Amino acid sequence: MRSKTFRESYQEDIRVFHTVWVKGWLCVFLVGLATLPLWGDPYVVYMANIAGIAIVGAIGLNILTGFTGQISLGHSAFLAIGAYTTAILASRFGAPFWVAIPAGGTVAALFGILLGFPCLRLKGLYLAMATMSFGVVIEYVVTHWESVTLGVRGISVPAPSLFGYSLGGEYRLFYLIFLVVVLLAAAAKNIVRTRVGRAFVAIRDRDVAAGIMGVNLTRYKVMSFAISSFYGGVAGGLYAYSTGYLHPENFTLLLSIEYIAMIIVGGLGSILGSIFGAIFLTIVPDLIKEVATFAGHHLTFLEGRYNEEWNIATFGLLIMLFLIFEPSGLNGIWSRIKNSFKNWPFTY
Amino acid sequence: MKNWRIRVCILVSALLVGICLGGPAFPEGRGVTKDTIKMGMIMVKTGPVAALGLPWGWATQDVFNDVNEKGGIEGRKIELIWEDDQFKTPSAIAAFKKLIFRDQVLTITTCGGTPQTIALLGMINEHKVPNIPNALADEMYNPYQPYVFLLGATYEAQVELMFDYIMNDLKAQNPRIGVVYAETEFGKKGLEAARKRAKQYGVNIASELVLNIGSVDASSQVLALKEANVDYVVTCNLVPPIITFLKTAEKYDYWPTVFGINWSCDDTVVKACGNAAKNFIGINFVGGWEDDSPGMKQIRDLAKKNNRDPNKMLTSLYTASGATAMVFVEGLKRAGKDLTPESLKKALETLSNFDAGGALPAINYTPTSHAPANKAKLYKADLDTKTMKAITDWREPAAMK
Repeated sequence: MRSKTFRESYQEDIRVFHTVWVKGWLCVFLVGLATLPLWGDPYVVYMANIAGIAIVGAIGLNILTGFTGQISLGHSAFLAIGAYTTAILASRFGAPFWVAIPAGGTVAALFGILLGFPCLRLKGLYLAMATMSFGVVIEYVVTHWESVTLGVRGISVPAPSLFGYSLGGEYRLFYLIFLVVVLLAAAAKNIVRTRVGRAFVAIRDRDVAAGIMGVNLTRYKVMSFAISSFYGGVAGGLYAYSTGYLHPENFTLLLSIEYIAMIIVGGLGSILGSIFGAIFLTIVPDLIKEVATFAGHHLTFLEGRYNEEWNIATFGLLIMLFLIFEPSGLNGIWSRIKNSFKNWPFTY
Repeated sequence: MKNWRIRVCILVSALLVGICLGGPAFPEGRGVTKDTIKMGMIMVKTGPVAALGLPWGWATQDVFNDVNEKGGIEGRKIELIWEDDQFKTPSAIAAFKKLIFRDQVLTITTCGGTPQTIALLGMINEHKVPNIPNALADEMYNPYQPYVFLLGATYEAQVELMFDYIMNDLKAQNPRIGVVYAETEFGKKGLEAARKRAKQYGVNIASELVLNIGSVDASSQVLALKEANVDYVVTCNLVPPIITFLKTAEKYDYWPTVFGINWSCDDTVVKACGNAAKNFIGINFVGGWEDDSPGMKQIRDLAKKNNRDPNKMLTSLYTASGATAMVFVEGLKRAGKDLTPESLKKALETLSNFDAGGALPAINYTPTSHAPANKAKLYKADLDTKTMKAITDWREPAAMK
């Protein structure tokens, strides 16, 4: 008997939507999400915006680290480049958002290519150190190149507008971020299921073997850096519009580590995992605070003990726990739950 | 194919409807009920500058608790929600949105440090949040910001007072002045003010050096200043780096007169440095901890009542925050029963010659100006009592072209 999800060809296997149900549920979810500003309070919408920006950045890092196996501790640098490019174009040259954001992504991608070449022969710890150093250099540049970035004074970013209609404020900005997230997530999903994506995975699994099979290592590694930093740059551009003010302290090593945490917790080598991880780590601080406040009401020794440093400790703890107990991340947990329902009442 | 188009149509329609309808809606009387007034505060609690934020938060909390114990304001108790921004702009923005959107506070007393407040200026005006920033920069009141009330002398005024003291009180002839600043917003403001004032007095700045907030050693700065024969060091920094600087200078047997702005003018410097602080002069817009004024007595009593040990906290920060909270309490009282962000703003604008019992120089706010008094006292380290002792009365910078 033929199963509903039985796949007979490779084409069927790499389909984005395997069943009409997946397509249907996704549409329901997206329509539901698009109505969020109609029923969500402003703080929820703000958190959704922050999560959306994190999703774009996390997908970018996952393409480089999760799919291509190139560890990067310099992702915050690409966000900084994108954010400052967008901010400068918007504030000094009056560029509209539909020029400033892609420009931010493009400039970040150019820097990604620049970084990609010297990093071609580096792997593991050495690559991590090289990318981290790049992050430190960019942080130094945005702090000290005052004539361009205004340094520690920070740079104000005007609200985006479309044909004279302002898209400032949480609610309107939500739709801009929502659109970008949907477009870039769809693009990433398609990149990873094409020849390019398969080349990335081949490089990750064993670069020598990939080279022997005919994958051009130079081309694809640099391409991965470029795509990843483009996503980072776009996330930075959205961030610039979202906060309306940029300061060098926004783009430290800690931000890169947060993105690493997102893709590890969400699931390396998975677009859905990046989305899960970004959303999860965006709401974790609020979650911890709520739990600590609730626990404080019942356990007196916890009352008033919560402070923001718990969040940083939690990021570290989550990375450790997921690496040890659930290397496939939240995406792995999600897949298991899905499969168990799919196979129900059978256990296999 | 047809289904696909219908779905896209639904999605696009939902997006368009959302964009058209999108816009925040606040209930009337934000943060005020029959029995409570919800106030917010964004102030660092953890991280490298927590030592400055904690006494600030404690004092505001203690003043509000004291008011509550005496029956509140118009029968309403003040509830303070203190959010920690770790002195980081993104955290301050998130905290601001949480306080306004989720907690729906009446107002936010202080919105973090200088970069945080500048980043939030747009939202402060948009959401009508009367606040007293600890960002003491000219641009906080010039041009006029409708919801920002400045309490303390600006960094510019404080640095000018340092130069006035060197040139007019100490009557220095051809002084060799060096500037040591933190690479932050307020540090740069201080540096610029020093350059400007030096030009006005016709003196050159012999050396400009960075000493960052997390520094644990200042050897390179001290040696450079010593090499340049600098005898007056104007600093624009916080308490921890100033302690580092003074101790390092003592190690190299270098004894210039060192000036500090209000964020470093604290008894803690004398207690931590001992003899190394003997030439340290600080500037502050609040009264000294041991002053006899009724305002300072009230603040000392509050600290005692709440077990805040003055030997274990920055008392100048506790005082500044206590005075800030007193200004708010006065504003809330004047706003009366019909309390809204707008009525609080209007009430604060009626403050005239208000000096919090001597804890502050008299401040005057009007509907067109929220400028500070721009007056401060100079304090010198007293090694016997291990405190900063006032050596001048309230004074403002000398007018110069």
